[in-house]
Amino acid sequence: MSSSRAYSPLVPWCLLAPFLVAFTTFTTWPLIRSLVLAFEQTYGPKTTAFVGLLNFKFLFADPMFWTAVGNTVLFTICAVCLQIPVALGLALLLNRPDIRGKRIFRLIFFAPSIVGLSFVAILFSLLLERRVGLINSSLHALFPAWDPDFPWLQNYVLTSMSGAVLWLSAGFYMIYFLAALQNVPSELLEAASMDGAGPWQRFRHITLPEIRPILNLITLLVVIGSLQLFELPFLVYNDTGGSGPDNRALTIVTYLYRTGFHSGDLGYASAIGWVLTLVLIGFALLQRVIARRAER
Amino acid sequence: MLRYFSPGVWLLVFLAIGSSILVFLLPVAPRPGLIFWLFDRNHAMLSQHIADQWNRENPDMPVQVTLIPTSLGTRMLSGFYANTPVGDLIEVERSLIGQVFAGPLEDVGFVDLTDRLEEDRVGDMINTPSFSPWSTRDRIFGLPHDVHPVMLMYRADLVEAAGIDVSQIETWDDYFRIMRPLQRDLDGDSRIDRWLLSAGPTAFQFHEVFMLQAGGGYFAADGEPELNSEINVRILSQLAIWYVGPGRVTGELPTTPATAQQLIIDGYVVAMLAPDWFVGSIRNTLPAMAGKFKLMPLPAWEPGGRRTSVYGGTMLGITKASQHQDAAWEFAQKLYLSPETARGLYEMTRIITPIKANWDEPIYDEPDSYYCDQPIGRLFINLAPDVPLRPSSPFYVNAQQELNAAIIALCHYVEKRHISDPTLLHDQCRQLLDSAQARLLRQMQRNVFLRHTES
Repeated sequence: MSSSRAYSPLVPWCLLAPFLVAFTTFTTWPLIRSLVLAFEQTYGPKTTAFVGLLNFKFLFADPMFWTAVGNTVLFTICAVCLQIPVALGLALLLNRPDIRGKRIFRLIFFAPSIVGLSFVAILFSLLLERRVGLINSSLHALFPAWDPDFPWLQNYVLTSMSGAVLWLSAGFYMIYFLAALQNVPSELLEAASMDGAGPWQRFRHITLPEIRPILNLITLLVVIGSLQLFELPFLVYNDTGGSGPDNRALTIVTYLYRTGFHSGDLGYASAIGWVLTLVLIGFALLQRVIARRAER
Repeated sequence: MLRYFSPGVWLLVFLAIGSSILVFLLPVAPRPGLIFWLFDRNHAMLSQHIADQWNRENPDMPVQVTLIPTSLGTRMLSGFYANTPVGDLIEVERSLIGQVFAGPLEDVGFVDLTDRLEEDRVGDMINTPSFSPWSTRDRIFGLPHDVHPVMLMYRADLVEAAGIDVSQIETWDDYFRIMRPLQRDLDGDSRIDRWLLSAGPTAFQFHEVFMLQAGGGYFAADGEPELNSEINVRILSQLAIWYVGPGRVTGELPTTPATAQQLIIDGYVVAMLAPDWFVGSIRNTLPAMAGKFKLMPLPAWEPGGRRTSVYGGTMLGITKASQHQDAAWEFAQKLYLSPETARGLYEMTRIITPIKANWDEPIYDEPDSYYCDQPIGRLFINLAPDVPLRPSSPFYVNAQQELNAAIIALCHYVEKRHISDPTLLHDQCRQLLDSAQARLLRQMQRNVFLRHTES
């Protein structure tokens, strides 16, 4: 079957035009503008002064920025170490043929990811509240020695944030793992069993290599998501502009937001944004290199 | 070309281009009269009443009261930074004003009211300390809405049942000594369930209240930071001991209003620092607690010292974008200077007006049955002239963050070493505040706009 119409070379461009216009307006132009802004000091977009590399120079010596970097990196490490094993563990459990009510469990585990970070922030603020919060009051009721004023949100910022995000995300990533696990050839596992391989050996030498592409993808998603953490600390510690006690909840994006939209210094905020972008690109490349090596 | 696309595509293209042209060509209707943005529902209700009167008298310049409870700050800053539409008059809360003052003086989005206040002799009518948060580089940009003196709100039912006479309390030391029997474990689990004062290391809002009362604060009158002043060193050392020392006397109420209210009802704290707006808020939100609270002046830091402080604040500003600045100024005066507003404000919120001429209104002397028939308006007015100055700064939020971090570090130091004598903390506190001051100065020196203004 051959086409009876001869298309003008302009047609593909016309079809692409809406996307190109939108992409240029809302992505390329802001990207270029933010790069220019990173070399300026601003009071809103109207009042600007070119300062060269001053923003970056100040940024690298800014203790608040390094606090934000430290908090974000710590949170990312916790997220990777918690979310991936828990999500994989849940998926492995639900992938067992002898488990009843799989669909219900799948729904229960996945449900938190539907509600979003804002809801989780409010929920965990209430759960972890001193004295009247459900966690403290339950623990005190079960173990009278437990301090009902235990300062989860004040002194255990990282634990609280990690717990909240784990509750939200584990079920979401579990679905990815479950899909990957269902594609692991059962004949391979059966053959290994017949050859005397135990559960750990089957997991280590068959399941893990088979699900590695998904594992790599999820690791990258968790890392990128964690490095961009914003809403959760911003809402939980709203009274301190998202930075929390002693700036322990301050993340890179919260700092960026505060600098840009509270102080009006869009130049410095752009500098922070570009540093974060470079870090994210670095992580993506690193992950790619590691994944390729593992494939070989 | 026509034949390559279906009629549906052409219809869409026509609609897109046609509607864009139409929108572009449609004349923008001139805004009728004055638009007044507020963030608080009570203020809006009260202002609406005055606006209705104004609208009857000035039908050609009506005022439209617009309540923007959550996003007023963002919309205002967006208007100042990027010329998006803003109201002619805006009520601004204190925590936002630093951002408005962060740029060059000529770029502040509000009209400089200094000369108008002087010409119309309005400045003389207002409690002087109330101007300080709304001023920068010796220029005033807002009409103060309030004074917000702070008193101590205590549980009269508990205090009187224990036979404690609060008239013997003059200083904080007296307060904690005399009230001590009230701090106790109520359920027998060996943990304190009732603390003497609502405060704590992460109840950040109170650190400044204490420092201001003692004569300290974040900034000096010339706008220079003074985080590491000797007064601040002394006060923060004492606070750290109260908060986490072996003889801890304070308990922190949660930030979530519902849970905080429950703990107040349960008697988790004997007393709270209470500005006038908080007194009104408790009265409106916890009606079942009527007759259980009383107010007294804050205990002083030393005998003969100041018995109040200041907490919170709002101003009314006229935006430079307004086409009717004179009318806006006229309305602002009518709204803020009138005795009717003062009465309404007090009735609705228990906030006292900063207009000194209105302090004689009989409403302030009326006994308030919620507070055991105390004339709380008069109690606050008596303290109003003593309210400390709060010099404004574009770096207010930065200073607050630095100080919060310092006090938390100091509290950890106290917890680790079980220190109970505040004088033993002074060196450590000074060291922490010196570092905080250095970091703050570094941030301030980066701002090229303010550097230019100073030079």
